[in-house]
Amino acid sequence: MKAGLFSRQLLRESRGSRGRLAFFAACLGTGVAAIVAVAGLSGALEETIRSQARPLLGADLSIESFRPFPESVDQAIEALPGVRTRVEELVTVVFEPGTAAANEGAAPRSLLVELKAVEPPYPLVGELRLEPDRPLADLLAPDAIVAHPDLLRRLGVAVGEDVSLGGERFRVAGTIAAEADRLAGSFRIGPRVFVSREGLARTKLAGFGSRVTRRVLLNFPEGTDAAVARKIVTGLKDRLESVPGIRVESWLDGQPELRQAIRRTSRFLGLVALTSLLVGGVGVAQTVRAWIASRLDALAILRCLGVTSREAILLYAVQTAGLGLLGSLLGAVAGIGLVAAVGQAYSDLLPPGGLDPWQPAALLRGLGLGLGVSLLFGVPALLAVRRVPPARVLRRDAEPIPASLPLRILGGVVLFAGVGLTAWVQSGLPRVATLFTLGLAASALVLALSARGLLWLVTHVPRERLTFALRHGLAALVRPGAGTVSSILALGLGTLVVLHIALVQRDFSRQLAADLPSNAPTAFLLDVQPDQWVGVSAVLSEQGATRVDSVPVVTARLTAVDGTDTSDLAARMKGDARRQRWALTREQRLTYMETLPADNVIVAGALWSDPGALEVSLEEEFAGRIGARLGSVLDFDVQGVPLRLKVTSLRTVDWRTFGINFFLVVEPGVLEQAPQLRLAAARLPKESEGRIQDLLAREFPNVILIRTREVLERVAELASRMGEAVRVLGAFSVLAGLVILGGSISAASARRSREVALLKVLGVTRAGAALALAIEYALVGLVAGLVGTLGATLLSGAVLKAAFEVSFQPSAALLTLAPLGVSLLAAAAGLAVSVRALRVRPLEVLRGE
Amino acid sequence: MRTPLLELRGVSKELPSGGRTLRILDAIDLSIAAGEFAAILGPSGSGKSTLLGLMAGLDRPTRGEVLLEGEPIHGMTEDELALLRRRKVGFVFQSYQLLSNLTARENVLLPLELTGQAGAGARATELLAAVGLGERGHHYPSQLSGGEQQRVALARAFGTRPPLLLADEPTGNLDSATGASILDALVRLRSESGTTLILVTHDPAVAALADRRIHLRDGKVERDETSS
Repeated sequence: MKAGLFSRQLLRESRGSRGRLAFFAACLGTGVAAIVAVAGLSGALEETIRSQARPLLGADLSIESFRPFPESVDQAIEALPGVRTRVEELVTVVFEPGTAAANEGAAPRSLLVELKAVEPPYPLVGELRLEPDRPLADLLAPDAIVAHPDLLRRLGVAVGEDVSLGGERFRVAGTIAAEADRLAGSFRIGPRVFVSREGLARTKLAGFGSRVTRRVLLNFPEGTDAAVARKIVTGLKDRLESVPGIRVESWLDGQPELRQAIRRTSRFLGLVALTSLLVGGVGVAQTVRAWIASRLDALAILRCLGVTSREAILLYAVQTAGLGLLGSLLGAVAGIGLVAAVGQAYSDLLPPGGLDPWQPAALLRGLGLGLGVSLLFGVPALLAVRRVPPARVLRRDAEPIPASLPLRILGGVVLFAGVGLTAWVQSGLPRVATLFTLGLAASALVLALSARGLLWLVTHVPRERLTFALRHGLAALVRPGAGTVSSILALGLGTLVVLHIALVQRDFSRQLAADLPSNAPTAFLLDVQPDQWVGVSAVLSEQGATRVDSVPVVTARLTAVDGTDTSDLAARMKGDARRQRWALTREQRLTYMETLPADNVIVAGALWSDPGALEVSLEEEFAGRIGARLGSVLDFDVQGVPLRLKVTSLRTVDWRTFGINFFLVVEPGVLEQAPQLRLAAARLPKESEGRIQDLLAREFPNVILIRTREVLERVAELASRMGEAVRVLGAFSVLAGLVILGGSISAASARRSREVALLKVLGVTRAGAALALAIEYALVGLVAGLVGTLGATLLSGAVLKAAFEVSFQPSAALLTLAPLGVSLLAAAAGLAVSVRALRVRPLEVLRGE
Repeated sequence: MRTPLLELRGVSKELPSGGRTLRILDAIDLSIAAGEFAAILGPSGSGKSTLLGLMAGLDRPTRGEVLLEGEPIHGMTEDELALLRRRKVGFVFQSYQLLSNLTARENVLLPLELTGQAGAGARATELLAAVGLGERGHHYPSQLSGGEQQRVALARAFGTRPPLLLADEPTGNLDSATGASILDALVRLRSESGTTLILVTHDPAVAALADRRIHLRDGKVERDETSS
C-alpha cells in the first residue's frame, strides 16, 4: 500500500475515535503525569541547586579541615587570587544563665546550636538578612552573638539579653531573618548562631580535641575568566585532596552530595511512578483488544478487498502510536502542572529562585515512556488482526486463523524485555531494573492466577438461592469476554502498590520511633575532657542516670597502610571513590579496651593474640574501605607521635544496639598516656534529660549531650515525609486501575444498555438494575482488593524482614478495610460510568437506534 | 479449448461443529469459462456460500484444488490470497459490507487505490454516476437506504474491472422492487465489462437471469444446466 493511500486510510479509520482517545489519555496520562512530575521535580531541584551553588556554598571556593591547616595548605591558599575569609563551625551548647537555681520542670535553659565564627568580609556570597537590618560585622562585637529566632524562642531570651557560650557571657545583638547557605528543612542539630572569631577565641571551645571545622572561603576576583577559574580549582584539588583531612569544594561541584541524594530519591520515586504507567499499559492492551473486536467486520471486508494482514496491522499500530502520543502529551502537561504546583506550595522550603517547571528532559522521558508503553502493550493485542478470517464476510462464525505459537511466545518475551527496559530507563541501574521487572511480573502472575481461581470459585457457587441483584452480579462477573481478569489485575496491582508502600513505611517508622532497645543508651556525651569525667559522671549519677558507660577516644591520623603512604593511596582514588578516600584521610578515632562489647563479633583472627606486636582490631567494612586485611600493618600519627599497629582481628558490629562502637580498637597498654577525650553513653530518666543538659552546660560548657530520642524522632519524621510522597505516587497506580475498570465498563456500554433495556422490559426498576450493576463492579473491586491486600501483606512482610530486618505486624483492620474500600471505589466508579446505560429507554435500544 | 477462468477439482470442505465434523461440500468438480454468467442454486444449508468463498480465495478447501486463471490458489498464504483478490476478484454481498467510516465515494475508491490505478478519482465518480448515485458520494452508508448501499457495493465491485465477480444473495436484504433494479444494474454492468459473474441465490427467478444454473444439494452438484 502506497504512503498516500496509507495516510488517507489512517485518517478515515480514525473517525469516531474520540472515546478511544479519551481512554488512552486517561490510562497513559496518569502514569505519564507521575513520571514527568517526579523527573521534572528532581531536575528542577538539581537545576536550582546548581544555579544556587555559589550562595549555598557561600563562596566560589571552600577549603575545609577538621584540624588547623598545615603550612603547605596555608601557602597554597595564600597563592590564590581573590577575596578570602576564615570561618569556624562547630556544634556546641548555649546556656541561659538566668536564675542560678535550676528550676524544677521549667523550660529548657540550654540548647544545642550550630555555631559559626566569622570575620569580615563574611558573607562573600548570598544574602544574610538580619534583624535589626545592619551588617553582620557591625553587630558582632567580640562579646556579641546573632542567632536564629528559634534560639531566642526556645530559651526564652530577647535581643539585648545575655547567654552563656563556652563558659563566657555573650549578648544577643540580633536575629537572623534569612540565610542563604542553608537549605530550610534540611537536617539541623540546632539553630544557627553567629559569633565573631575573636568571640570564639575568648571561649576555650576551639581548644584541644574539639570537633571544629575550619574553613577558608574564597571568591575569585571580579571578571575572572571561567576557564581560568576552573583550572585553578582543578589544580588546587589535585594538590590538596590527598592531604589528610582536607576537603576542597567549588561552585562547579554544585553540592554533589545533595544532588546525589536527590537523584537517588528520584530514581526510587521514578520506579513507583513507572508502576502506574505500566498499570495503564494493561488498560491500553484492553482497549486495543476491544477495539479490534469491534472492527472485526470492517477488518474482514478490508482483507476481502485485498489488504494484507501486515498492512492492516500497520494501520492500527500507527493509530495506536498516535493515540499513545496524544495521551502521553496530555499526561505530560499535567505533570508539568504538578511540578509548578509543588514549587508554589513548598516555596518556603526551597532555595530562592523557586522551581522551573519547564524541564525538557523530563517531558521527553514521559513522552518516550508513554509512547513506548502504548506500543509495548498495544501491539501484541494488535496481532489479533492476523487471525481475522476473510471468510467472515460470508460466514460470521468463520474460524479464526490459528495464532502462531512462536509469535505469541516472542510477544511475551518482548513484553518482558520492554518492561525491563522502561525500568532501566527510570532507575539507571540494571540490577534494580531486573528486580523490579521480575517482582512486577511475579505479582502480575499471582494476581492473574488468583483472579482466575476466584472466578472459577464464583462460577461454582450455587446461585439459585441468592437475591436477584447478587445472582446477576455474580453471573456478569464470570461472563466470558467481560474483561474481568484484566480489570482485577489492574486494580489489584494498584492496590498492591499503594498498600505495600504504606505497610512498609508504617512499620519502618514505627520501628524508628519506637522505644529503643530497653538497655540502649538514651544519650551520648561527646568531648568530655579527661579531668572533667569525674564531675560529669557525678552529675549523671546524681540525676538518676543508669548504665553509664564511657570509653577513651584518641584522635590520630592514619599515615600509611602496609607501608604505602595514605596520601599516595588517596591520590589514586578518583571520582566515586571519594567515600573510600575520606575513610583514609579523615581524622581517625581510636579507643582501647580489654574486652569487646557484646554487639561486636570477631569474624577473623583473634583479639589481642600477638604478644610481639602492638595490636588493633578493625571493623570489617572499614578495613575494606582503607584496603587493610588481617595481618596488615597500619601507621598512625598520634598527635605527633608515630605509632605502628598490626591488625590481628576483624569484627562485625551490630550498630542497631546504639552502643558505643568504634572502627578501630587498640589493645590496652598502648594509648593510655596519649592525649584523649572521653565518650560516654547513659540511660537518662526522661524527665531529667533537660535538667542534666542545663547542669552540664553550666559547669562543663564544652560537653555536648546528644539525645538519641530526638535524633530518632527527626529521622522518623523525614521517613514519614518521604512516605507521604511515595503514597501519593502509589495513589496514581490505584487511579490508573480505576480508569481501566471504568474503561472496560464503558467499552461494554452498548451491551450493557441492551441488558438494562431488557431488564426494564422484564419489569426491573432502574434502582434494581443499578444495584445489579453496582454489585458486579463491587465484586470486581472486592476480588481485586482482596488479592492486592494479601499480596501487599506478603510482600511487605518479606521486604521488611529481608531488607530492613524489621518485624512485621499484619494489621487485621487493614486486611478487612482495604478490600472493602477498593470495592466501594470500584462500585462508585462503575456506576458513574454506567449512568447513561441506566437512563436508557427500553424501546430505543430494542429498536436498535 | 481455452483455459477455464475458474476450475475446481475434487473440492471438499469440512468444518468442526459441536464436537463433530460437518461435510459442507463433497468432492465438487466445476469449470467456469471466462465471460460466463453462472448462478449457484440450492436450499439453505446446501453449501452455496461456502462454495463461493472457496472460489474467491476467501477460504481454503479441506481437500481438492482450486485454480484461478490456471493458477492454483488453494495453497497460497493469506497475504498472497489478499493480493490476488485485489487484482482479480470483485464482491457483492447480501449485507452490502461497506466500510461504515468511509463515505460512499471512498468506499468505491478503495479497491482502485489498492491497485494503484491512475485516475482513480475520476473512475470512482464515473462509477457512482453509472449506478445513479452521482450526487450522494459524500454520504456515509448509515445515511443511505439498503438499495443505495448495494448500488455503492456494485460500483465498488466493478471499479477495478476484475476478471471474476462474485455475488452472494445480492438482493437478499432488499424488497422486490429494489432488488429488481439492483439485478438490472448488475446485469447491465456485467455485459458492458464482460466480467465473469457467479451469483449465489435461493431464488429460481433470479437464477433464471443467468446463462448457466448449477444446483447444489447436500454439498454435491445435483444438476448443471445451461440455457440455450
